[in-house]
Amino acid sequence: MVASQASWGRPGRLDDVSGRVAIAGVGESQHSQASGRDPVDIAVEAVEAALDDAGLAPADVDGLMWSGGLPGQLDEAAFRRHFAARGGDPDRALWTSAQGGGMVWAGTAPVRAARALASGRARVIVNVFSTAWATQREAGEGSPGDAHSSERFKANLELPFGWFPQPVYFATIARRHMHEYGTTPEQLGAIAVSCRRHANRHPGAVMHGKPLDLDAYLARPMLVEPLRVEDCCLISDGGAAYVMTTPEHARDLRKPPVQVAGVGEGHSDSGVFWSQQGDFTATPQVFSAPQAFEMAGIAPTDVDLLTLYDPFTIVALMQIEDMGFCAKGEGGAFVEGSRLHHDGGGLPYNTHGGLLSHAYVLGIAHVVEVVRQLRGEAHAQVPDAKIGVYGGYTGHMASTLVLRRADA
Amino acid sequence: MKGALPDLSFEPTRAFWEAAAREELAVPRCASCGRWVWYPRERCPDCEADEMPWTPLSGRGTLFSWASVERALFKPFAERAPYVTGLVAVEEDPRVRIVTTVVDCDPGALRVDMPVEVVFRELSFPGEDGVVTAPFFRPVPHPATGEALR
Ligand SMILES: [Zn+2]
Repeated sequence: MVASQASWGRPGRLDDVSGRVAIAGVGESQHSQASGRDPVDIAVEAVEAALDDAGLAPADVDGLMWSGGLPGQLDEAAFRRHFAARGGDPDRALWTSAQGGGMVWAGTAPVRAARALASGRARVIVNVFSTAWATQREAGEGSPGDAHSSERFKANLELPFGWFPQPVYFATIARRHMHEYGTTPEQLGAIAVSCRRHANRHPGAVMHGKPLDLDAYLARPMLVEPLRVEDCCLISDGGAAYVMTTPEHARDLRKPPVQVAGVGEGHSDSGVFWSQQGDFTATPQVFSAPQAFEMAGIAPTDVDLLTLYDPFTIVALMQIEDMGFCAKGEGGAFVEGSRLHHDGGGLPYNTHGGLLSHAYVLGIAHVVEVVRQLRGEAHAQVPDAKIGVYGGYTGHMASTLVLRRADA
Repeated sequence: MKGALPDLSFEPTRAFWEAAAREELAVPRCASCGRWVWYPRERCPDCEADEMPWTPLSGRGTLFSWASVERALFKPFAERAPYVTGLVAVEEDPRVRIVTTVVDCDPGALRVDMPVEVVFRELSFPGEDGVVTAPFFRPVPHPATGEALR
């Protein structure tokens, strides 16, 4: 490719938040196939679990972040309604931001939280995300493709030719990556198999109890060639939350604190039009990860475990390259065999199972998993993990969150 | 679920479909610096000029990449699957990638960067009113053998 970095995207402008925010609690709802549940109820379950984990009560919460771009979230009104019904003060002061939740914002939420904590406007901030897409799909009430099909340039220049929905985009990207760099189906399969292996150690994972090895992967039919169903994320119901506070306050709480060491954000100039992205086989992690690693004062080789927003195997592979864990084009060799396993001697990756095999909660459970790893609480535990990274992705944006064990 | 036919009243892409109806493949080209600008936008990304008349292309290009859809995930294509959809880099400027359906092809014989050419066909979908002429692409046949060029 001739496209240089500078020609197709740029990093976001972020405050240096290194050492200014701690994650003191994490929690998840149950993850499942179609549950019939309301996403707000799912979110409440996750928030209560996260507060309990931190040893805090709902009355301690004075900050709330959610994903304003998606309907049905636990926003300020839903939060007040729920906790007033539980005996809380419905009129208490609450710092809020709709620039939180999942996807890239699961990684960048600490930047806004840091300002609220520093100014004293909030002391305990919950970031929460939930989805009931499995239930909604069964009811015919919307799908992850809707945001794309309702975009008018896509509706007029892509949908008439059947270039839709997401598996089609990423099959096209995967084929070009295979052409440019020699990436193989076995290498994409190694990513899917690693995620499934980790999900089988995680009792809360949707694909727990459904093993997958590379032979079984290769024997599966194509969905959108060159991608199989196993290359694509689940659609499931579930939610997760994490609690942010100052490092000082976190020291007094129940669990060993985990600190935010660095954050990055990257943008693609072609926005949501992936067909026109300057470097078709790259992600905006090219712009995001260096910013986060510099803020944290680390190199990719310092990272003990990595979780990546993984809607498709190829998206994980590209992010691994773009974050600098290997050279561009060498991601295939980097992920082969057991190198991504939690005990494989390479880079432990999506040790909870990711969007492919754990749950489709759009990245927030990835952050929960990093925190658990750094506390030594994970099901597929990486021994003595000190530094963990989450990479978020929405196509036109990427984010990078570096977390560090507070005593490390 | 929405349909698959284009909305011919959507101003930014209306001229694309009007050109296709004349069996022309056209995209905006900056009147000031000559850059082909795709997708349509208000200003030229190179020189910021705002005059970008729709300009015909040769219709030749290369197959940048594609996906073979074995089972349609988009309902209007249910009866069309399996089908091949992908991106064509046009010969005038390969940064311009036209989303298309690849027709008249053996999917197993397609190759990345192989030469392709535009062919205009009618496009309609079951249960949707209307029909448009749309630019599809096919592998360029060898002048002597008729086999696709690689
Ligand atoms: Zn210009």
